[in-house]
Amino acid sequence: MEEKTSWDWHTDLKEIPVKEWENRFNWVQAPQVSKDGERIAAIVNLDEMVFNVCVNGDVWDDKYEKAWCLAPFADNGFAAFVAKDEEWTMNVNGVQWSNWFDFIWDMKISPNGDFLGAAFQTDSEYGVIVNDVPWEDRYENLTGAVMAPNGTSAAVVQMESMAAADVDAFKKGIFSVARNGEAQAARFLNAWNISFDAGAQNIACTVRLDREAYSIVQNDTIWDNRFESAWKPQFLDEKTLVAPVRINGKWKLYKNNAPFWANAYDQLWHLSVSPAGEDIAAIVSTPYGRWTVAVNDRVWQHSWDTMVSDIHFSQDGACLAAVYKHKGAWDLAVNQTPWQMRADKVFVPSISPDGSVVAVVVEKNSTRQLVVNNRVMASGFSFMADPVISPDGSQVMIKAIENGVYKRQIISV
Amino acid sequence: MQTQDNTMTEQSRETNDMKSEKATDPAIESGLKRLTPERIQKTINQVLEKETGPRFKAYVETCMRCGMCADACSFFLSNDRDPYFMPAAKVKNTIWEMLAKKGNVSKDFLRQAVRISHLECNVCKRCAMYCPFGIDIAYMMLLVRRICHKLEITPQYIQDTVNSHSVTLNQMWVKDDEWIDTLQWQEEDARDEFENLEIPLDKVGADIMYSVIAPEPKFQAGLIYQAATMMHAAGIDWTMPSTPGWDNSNMAMYTGDNEISGRIARAFFETAAKLRVKRIVMGECGHAFRSVYDIGNRWNSWVMPPFEVVHALAFYHELLTEGRITIKEKYKKKVTLHDPCNVSRGRGLHDKARQVVNMVCEDFVDMVPNREHNYCCGAGGGVINCGPPYKNERMVNNRNKAEQLAATGAEVLIAPCHNCHSGLEDIIHHYDLKMEIKFLGDLIYETMEKKIYTPGK
Amino acid sequence: MNSFIAFIMGPMVWISAIIFVGGLLFKGISIIQSVRQKEPYIFSYMTVKHSLRSMGAWLVPFFPKSTRLRPVYYAISYLFHILLFVVPLFLASHIVLINEAFQVSWPALNDGLADWLTLLVIAALIFFAVRRQMVPEITYLTSAIDYLLILLVLLPFVTGFLAYHQWFAYRWMVVAHVLSGELMLIIIPFSRFSHMLTAPLTRAYMGSEFGNVRHARDW
Repeated sequence: MEEKTSWDWHTDLKEIPVKEWENRFNWVQAPQVSKDGERIAAIVNLDEMVFNVCVNGDVWDDKYEKAWCLAPFADNGFAAFVAKDEEWTMNVNGVQWSNWFDFIWDMKISPNGDFLGAAFQTDSEYGVIVNDVPWEDRYENLTGAVMAPNGTSAAVVQMESMAAADVDAFKKGIFSVARNGEAQAARFLNAWNISFDAGAQNIACTVRLDREAYSIVQNDTIWDNRFESAWKPQFLDEKTLVAPVRINGKWKLYKNNAPFWANAYDQLWHLSVSPAGEDIAAIVSTPYGRWTVAVNDRVWQHSWDTMVSDIHFSQDGACLAAVYKHKGAWDLAVNQTPWQMRADKVFVPSISPDGSVVAVVVEKNSTRQLVVNNRVMASGFSFMADPVISPDGSQVMIKAIENGVYKRQIISV
Repeated sequence: MQTQDNTMTEQSRETNDMKSEKATDPAIESGLKRLTPERIQKTINQVLEKETGPRFKAYVETCMRCGMCADACSFFLSNDRDPYFMPAAKVKNTIWEMLAKKGNVSKDFLRQAVRISHLECNVCKRCAMYCPFGIDIAYMMLLVRRICHKLEITPQYIQDTVNSHSVTLNQMWVKDDEWIDTLQWQEEDARDEFENLEIPLDKVGADIMYSVIAPEPKFQAGLIYQAATMMHAAGIDWTMPSTPGWDNSNMAMYTGDNEISGRIARAFFETAAKLRVKRIVMGECGHAFRSVYDIGNRWNSWVMPPFEVVHALAFYHELLTEGRITIKEKYKKKVTLHDPCNVSRGRGLHDKARQVVNMVCEDFVDMVPNREHNYCCGAGGGVINCGPPYKNERMVNNRNKAEQLAATGAEVLIAPCHNCHSGLEDIIHHYDLKMEIKFLGDLIYETMEKKIYTPGK
Repeated sequence: MNSFIAFIMGPMVWISAIIFVGGLLFKGISIIQSVRQKEPYIFSYMTVKHSLRSMGAWLVPFFPKSTRLRPVYYAISYLFHILLFVVPLFLASHIVLINEAFQVSWPALNDGLADWLTLLVIAALIFFAVRRQMVPEITYLTSAIDYLLILLVLLPFVTGFLAYHQWFAYRWMVVAHVLSGELMLIIIPFSRFSHMLTAPLTRAYMGSEFGNVRHARDW
């Protein structure tokens, strides 16, 4: 359980030397920092085909032939995929799961860290595992696995094997959606972009019914409308589903099988619903080649020539931040105001619950800096994880490496 | 695949007449069976009226039938100047007829249209450089393919590739776990040479995302190995994605399945966005470059690719001129270079390519014609992807490439593109050219100093 | 009959000129409108620089490789296109007529030279027609309309030539000359002759795609 209020917001600076790891181990992979900033970890190599995970200088008990995908979860946990005797499993905080597979990948972590999941394959059969409980049914293939905050899992699964280049078998439709391992009855040419509602009671996805006809499936029901293409649907509540769909070469937003937004865009994707469900935002392109954000079908006053890559709401929905690229440089716009940092990289912004503080790591000239509300607060780091803003919005936690020392620093804003 | 029946070779070279024994394709035939005249007419008119505009109209109305495009086309030149193969004739036998009959065309006509657009045109755009008006015949052939896609009469093998794209987002049905497993295996192997070598997966904030096409993990994993050793030796901060979106290839853009093509391109660029990289570097592939640099981006409303896409040729040039990689001893054999359409006519990388070849090899001889005017490998534009049934005609249809290669007298042919590479390998075998074929990366890997770059030294 | 001739020689000249200019203008505007409506992306790739670069390259005789592969055809074609405009526009008798109507004039070609140039145009057109017969790839593309188009251009030049020499039926020849000239002007916007407008556009677009996106030459 991730509990920001219980984290240490009082100690100004905590340091962990990491330079020495390079001497201790043959080599050290890119580090990962725990959510609370208290721990830094990396996959390390001890010998030929001997890997382990080093957390704050201590290695996990077991040694592995291979390890990958180290990721932080909950307050200060770490999970990684690990292999022994050519079999793979997940290791959570140094403890192996009991199920081993031929391969494991696509790690899923629920927002509060209570559920960890992954896709797996054994003997060419595919499934999903959540908290060490694998699906009972296995499939020919599996793509696009998702996991809801309550641990419900789903994936697009292949229902029957297909001979090489068998275009007729494909034409019949051999893909379905499996939820917690159980495949739905309907088969499709393709299914993509599975989406759950908040309680994971309802499920939706994009499907292709024949070579040209795209639609949306809401639980067991296919929308009547057919589209030229469609992107990921998004639940507004249990019964309301919206999805960007392509009609006559333009993109529109549909709600429950009927037109919703009036405008047609050259592109419309990355739907994002404010946590209270009041506002729907999306990345849009209009006219051709110009990118901006639309909130409830109203576009922002600025648009950019390259890309808007992601958008983020604050908890109260008052603040919306967009990472964009314009004239070759990356930037951030907060509630329509561009920060004009012209950075080489802009990472994922953190936003205080009330939307008043936005903190983001950016990279310029190969060094990373922390920018808070468009002011550079710290700079000159070789590595910086995404910052964390304290629950009251008054402090920002920096997680960075400088001269071989990991620093967890609390600054006031 | 690469062995060839000798009698067939001789026969086809002498008579050069394969037209009577053209392959049949079950996907085309079963697709044609399903068609009704109404569907044919409706689909053709929908595409030609709704999906085109003034550009298409201008192309159709502007052509003066001057025949200048003929000399541009390898198919025409390889088939003893048979007018049937000239670019404008391909338009005449497809588009003009469809327009004249208002879409009311026969199944036999469509059978031929599939063949003309998919197998007798590499959409290499060489003819656009020979037309005084700059008419884009490749664009019109792709329109015909679009019609075939909608009528579901696309040749079997390339359709299967597109099916793979639609499911896995890569072109060879490479499953998610197979991809990662292959990278880890290559990393492990490469550690014998560089003990600390890493193929960093999903490293958020790396400078470069390295991307390849699916045939690399499927058949030529060694190329990933080579790239990794170069990245490592050059001290590049790089990463490869473990998730779908790693494959930059796109056969859907060649079958007219623009929706799948766009979906692939979106996944590709959004993978780079998610990884927060500065640039994307890609392996030696031409059509993939066209896909991410010129085609897939447009469907998604990106005027130009949202990330700088650096083709291997340009990247090698950068590594060598910046001294990040040094050549220990130049390659001795006499080499020639094939300019792939999609990176030379498609991106003007031919001069950089020559500079790289000269930095790496001692004895370079150019082929004629070259640079933007080079002849297509005959495999590009999805032609080789239509599969083994069509290999013989592909060999016949690209005789002029064999003649061009033979005239160089080179021992080694450098083909910095996967499609070109496979196509030219077939040509070399079929015409018994006694040439070795290599990627430029093969030569760099072979000749480079296996030392690690340290900045400032 | 006389009133018909008067109409041909008088108002019809104006009508055909208006159809010619207006037709091309209308076509040009409708193309641009249609691009705006259906293919606005085209404007994202067009640049003045690369459009002019491409047009410039293709205006220089024997600069594009294509023109060097077919030097005779291109030489004749270049010459023909230049003369197609130069001969009628700089013909003394045409300038006199224009001067009567608008009180403007410009230097004229020497009549003897113009006569020879007219023969050159006629010869070029005959060459085009013969070429359609002789070269297999052109024959393959050719249909009756292609000869009709040649004939449409040929007529005003042949009749003009005959009228100038007054060899026979002078009056009728002048009428035929004016009529065929009018016919050609009227047909231009509605036939492939409209390439005088669309070819620069297709050239500019391809030049922009090559120069601006592909960083390559298109000649």
